[in-house]
Amino acid sequence: MKPLLLRCGWIARMTFLEAVRQRFFAFLIVLGAAMVLSSVAFRFLDFGHGELKFIADFGFGGMFLFGSILAVVMTAQLFFAEMDNRTALTLLAKPLSRAEFLIGKFFGVWMILGLFVIILSALLGLVLWARAQELSLLAEQSGRVAPDFSISGLSIFALLQWLRLSVVAAIVLAIAAAARTFLFAVILGALTVVAGQLQWIAQDVLLKPTESVVYKSILWLTSRILPNLQQFNIGDALVLDSGTVAMSSIGWVILSGLLYASAYLLLGALVFRRREI
Amino acid sequence: MNSAISVRHLTKDFKIGLRGLKLRAVDDLSLEIPRGQVYGLLGPNGCGKSTTLKIILGLVSGTTGEINILGFPSATAEARRRTGFLPEAPYFHKFLSGRELVRYCAQLSGVPAVKMDDAVDSALELAAMTEASSRRIGTYSKGMLQRIGLAQAIVHDPELVILDEPTAGVDPVGAAAIGRMIRAMRDQGKTVVLCSHLLGQVEQVCDRVAIMDHGRLVLEGRVDEVLAQRDRHLMTIEGLTPEARLAAESTLAAHGARVTSVTHPRRSLEELFRELVTGSRDA
Ligand SMILES: Nc1ncnc2c1ncn2[C@@H]1O[C@H](COP(=O)(O)OP(=O)(O)O)[C@@H](O)[C@H]1O
Ligand SMILES: [Mg+2]
Repeated sequence: MKPLLLRCGWIARMTFLEAVRQRFFAFLIVLGAAMVLSSVAFRFLDFGHGELKFIADFGFGGMFLFGSILAVVMTAQLFFAEMDNRTALTLLAKPLSRAEFLIGKFFGVWMILGLFVIILSALLGLVLWARAQELSLLAEQSGRVAPDFSISGLSIFALLQWLRLSVVAAIVLAIAAAARTFLFAVILGALTVVAGQLQWIAQDVLLKPTESVVYKSILWLTSRILPNLQQFNIGDALVLDSGTVAMSSIGWVILSGLLYASAYLLLGALVFRRREI
Repeated sequence: MNSAISVRHLTKDFKIGLRGLKLRAVDDLSLEIPRGQVYGLLGPNGCGKSTTLKIILGLVSGTTGEINILGFPSATAEARRRTGFLPEAPYFHKFLSGRELVRYCAQLSGVPAVKMDDAVDSALELAAMTEASSRRIGTYSKGMLQRIGLAQAIVHDPELVILDEPTAGVDPVGAAAIGRMIRAMRDQGKTVVLCSHLLGQVEQVCDRVAIMDHGRLVLEGRVDEVLAQRDRHLMTIEGLTPEARLAAESTLAAHGARVTSVTHPRRSLEELFRELVTGSRDA
């Protein structure tokens, strides 16, 4: 058990080192940061939640968009770099199982996604805090209630985003394990993310009594296979109205995220076992 | 059990195209590769050498056939623990230094932490890469890439070393150095299997060869037996005058022998090159 974890760890470490020095990663961090910071330029001066909400939404949007791009493209890129450059040939000739290789890749990506989320969340927290200070000063002068936001809510949100991106990475890895080309994996991965984001619509349709049974069963099946990625985006409620989200529902979101990530990783490992290197 | 590798009736079909068209890369190949020797798998480009090695290592699965490595059924982790592999035209993470790569491979091969530094040092030493080991792989020449590839293949002290075209793209001086490393491995008791299309170099290194063509085995045996023409002899004579030649020919004719050709012995261009050029800059 220990050598197995060690081998996964070595692969993950190397994957992370490879990813973290890529310009693409720095580029997405810069774009995300620019998005977070640019929200400061807009000032509504309504002394209230409106402005903090605007800043937070901008930050969430940046993390969501660039994080998704990072999770899809970087995961596929790191996988196909090993295949196309034939470094996998060297590594898989070692006493290392295919599953260990894939799991190592996953955790390498997982670390890079964590770094991305932590950097942007910290920046967002800083911007929110600075603006909240200013606003509360103004509110005091005019005798209104000072707006506030929740740091712990922001931390939970960051954790959920990290988990959401990890689920995406696991799905992309499973697709890549079966795909011939990088481009195919990226396109199918991106489509899956969009579908996962819209998955809740399918759940709504399922509740309608009018639709046909065939249509409904297809929908039911796809909505089981695809995770509901929208459920991770509860940033507003967590950060600005702390206390309105029940801990149990956060627990369920985390549990389902972990289950989906593991299931896709397992599927990827099974597919990858039969791949010719 | 005596063989390092035994391949029985191995066939590999690649599916190409959507219509189920098949390309037979290896065709009913059977080999017994003995332990403790340098074994050369020879043949033209595309004859199935690399495919055979990949199947032996379990990187690609054979269509039919049976393989044993060091007494283990094909490509178990246990078999791979005792095997080292240098792929064709090797490519490694460019951002690593040579030493970091060899260490990474040692970690994946299960070299225990206490032996790590010694194992890495001696692998680098054998591959003559100690000096360049702190440079980034991105800056290596082709010869150095092959040698660092050799180092990563042997860092866990495997019994069996499999090398795919170890001298391809390397100049003759570098190739001769790699040849010496291969013989050093054999002298340590390792079995070395290499494949190549550069026959001149292989001849000097291998104890035994198999020649493949279109996925089939066409010839197999000890190098000296395969190459010797037992009914022909070669004499090298100094100061041969036309009269002496006539006299010799008539004496030989009296004994029923016949001179079929008289030429000047030639050095190979490669020998000449090695004599004139003292070493590559990176050697
Ligand atoms: N993954 C693959 N898919 C389809 N054909 C392949 C694949 N790999 C090798 N081949 C074909 O198999 C034959 C043998 O290739 P290979 O073993 O690489 O030859 P060698 O190493 O002797 O030069 C070639 O005709 C090659 O085109
Ligand atoms: Mg080849």
